[in-house]
Amino acid sequence: MFTRRTFLSAALSAPLIARPALAAQEVIKLRHLYDRKALSDLARASEGKRIAVDGYMAPPLKAESNFFVLTRRPMSVCPFCETEADWPNDILAVYTKRTVDVVPYNVKIVTSGVLELGAYRDPETGFLSMVRLADASYD
Amino acid sequence: MKRILISALALTAATAASAQEIPELQSNSDWFKAGETTIQELIAREQNTGRAKNVILMIADGNGVGTNYATRLYVGQQMGKLGEEHVLPYETSDFHSALVKTYNINAQTPDSAPTAGAMNTGVKQRFNLINLGGDAIHDDCSTVAGNELTTFAELVAAEGKSVGIVSSARLTHATPAAVYSKTANRNWEDALPEGCTAQKDIAAQMIDAMTSGMLDIALGGGARYFVPKGTATPNGGTGHRADGADLLAVAAEAGIQYASNKEEFDALEMSAPILGLWTDSHTSYEADRPDSEPSLTDMTRTAIEFLSQNEDGFYLEIEAGRVDHANHAGNFARTAADGMIWAEAVALADEMTNDEDTLIVVTADHEHAIAFNGYCGRGTPIQGLCYGIAKTGEIHSDELNLADDGQPYSVISYANGSGSILREDMNYAGVRPAVTQEEAMDLDYLQQALVPMSSETHSGEDVAVYAKGPWAHLFDGTIEQNVIFHVMNHAVNAE
Repeated sequence: MFTRRTFLSAALSAPLIARPALAAQEVIKLRHLYDRKALSDLARASEGKRIAVDGYMAPPLKAESNFFVLTRRPMSVCPFCETEADWPNDILAVYTKRTVDVVPYNVKIVTSGVLELGAYRDPETGFLSMVRLADASYD
Repeated sequence: MKRILISALALTAATAASAQEIPELQSNSDWFKAGETTIQELIAREQNTGRAKNVILMIADGNGVGTNYATRLYVGQQMGKLGEEHVLPYETSDFHSALVKTYNINAQTPDSAPTAGAMNTGVKQRFNLINLGGDAIHDDCSTVAGNELTTFAELVAAEGKSVGIVSSARLTHATPAAVYSKTANRNWEDALPEGCTAQKDIAAQMIDAMTSGMLDIALGGGARYFVPKGTATPNGGTGHRADGADLLAVAAEAGIQYASNKEEFDALEMSAPILGLWTDSHTSYEADRPDSEPSLTDMTRTAIEFLSQNEDGFYLEIEAGRVDHANHAGNFARTAADGMIWAEAVALADEMTNDEDTLIVVTADHEHAIAFNGYCGRGTPIQGLCYGIAKTGEIHSDELNLADDGQPYSVISYANGSGSILREDMNYAGVRPAVTQEEAMDLDYLQQALVPMSSETHSGEDVAVYAKGPWAHLFDGTIEQNVIFHVMNHAVNAE
């Protein structure tokens, strides 16, 4: 039954009408795609499905690209921890519908896309990913 | 006459003072009784002036007084306490203590290389160098020759003691490297600038120390710096050495046992030197550590068992390296989890050794830009948002304290770092985002920071040193960091 009340609460809980794909989904944390260093059951069960994941956009490897890496925590570079940039194990490669409009590395974003599993090497950057979101958008 | 008058006045005053009684509500208070107990414990303290057979130097990297305070509360709260009243294993009256000034020769804010170097050689050193005298210059290989310092490990090894290092960081990283290496740049972990022949890279120096018999056991992370570039490491990654040297093969040829995971670690013999590398870089944060990696307590136990076989004693440096890294990331939950297992490692080291002949020194190399906000009630979760103070009872109210912007704030914030609320895409203006307690308590939460920096920085604030065993009582007052070496050196040489 469609009452005024349910309509209101639906509108309130989904203020971003322009992005129904995001609003309609439960946002999961990036770490839930992993179980320690392996893929989680949730990741395996979600293969091929559109999911929404929160995290941070690592500084893009290439300008004007449709590709970025989503990280659990801001991809800070610690000069005293690392002598070179090391990617964490638990990351998500994101292939976007549109050219990436860069978001600062320490601002949380929610990314929606179709989950793909398996090794894939990005032809432009050589970046090897095991878990990806394809056809993605972010907010 | 005047003299008699003064005495009479003094007598009156004394009588008046003794007539004052402490009311029962005060003298029967648990606080009062605990205070009296502490006094008795301090009076009963004995000074151990024997010779130290063994020395264990335990360094939680980045665990200054502030970070240690936060870890104390976190550990207590994990045990179901309010937290503030908790006592970490090295905070009992069994341990003597002092404050430590950590600056480097040329740096108000220190880094971990010269600080660990100061503890291992007895002299302050220059920023980003390890175990070179004050005339050496960072990144300048030509200043190495003639500036090499002698380390505590070299001194005691020459007297027949065994030497070990344990770290949750790479074994070529600053703190463990200060036990065995001398370098003009802490980052020369597996390569040197072209033409630099005055020193070897840090990994090569470590293997030299093991094959020469100076270093007997080394447990931690960082296999890639011992394996040729393009070659698989035992941990599933690839090697990093551009010179193509296979240092693991060199170690094996010298009869050194190797373990790359917990299973191999558990199968080690106690009869030959040991090298254990669980990861290609640093070991995992304790909060993320898989079962395949031995924990800091696992490594501590095996190192002490192994080294205790030497009747002449040993020197062991144990580092909780990732306390520092999580602080750099502005992520206190991980700092705390690594701090918690660090405290367990200290308790274990204490339990496994005898106070009569073992000097245990517990300290940090430097503090971080960590700060504490607000007037929070007792038991406020230290990594979370600040609750108000309740008028009755002990525990906090359920109301979150709000700042002038109407938003709650976490107890901890960092003065700088990647948790900065200033946004690059807004010309570094910023508004503190709304945060719920659930979000702030998340393992991945970054406490809010101000000055925008990719990596949160160290600070020059003091750290504490705690010690028990022979000559531990020499730690007192406020000391320079290099004095730690001198206490250790005095303790092993005492007649």
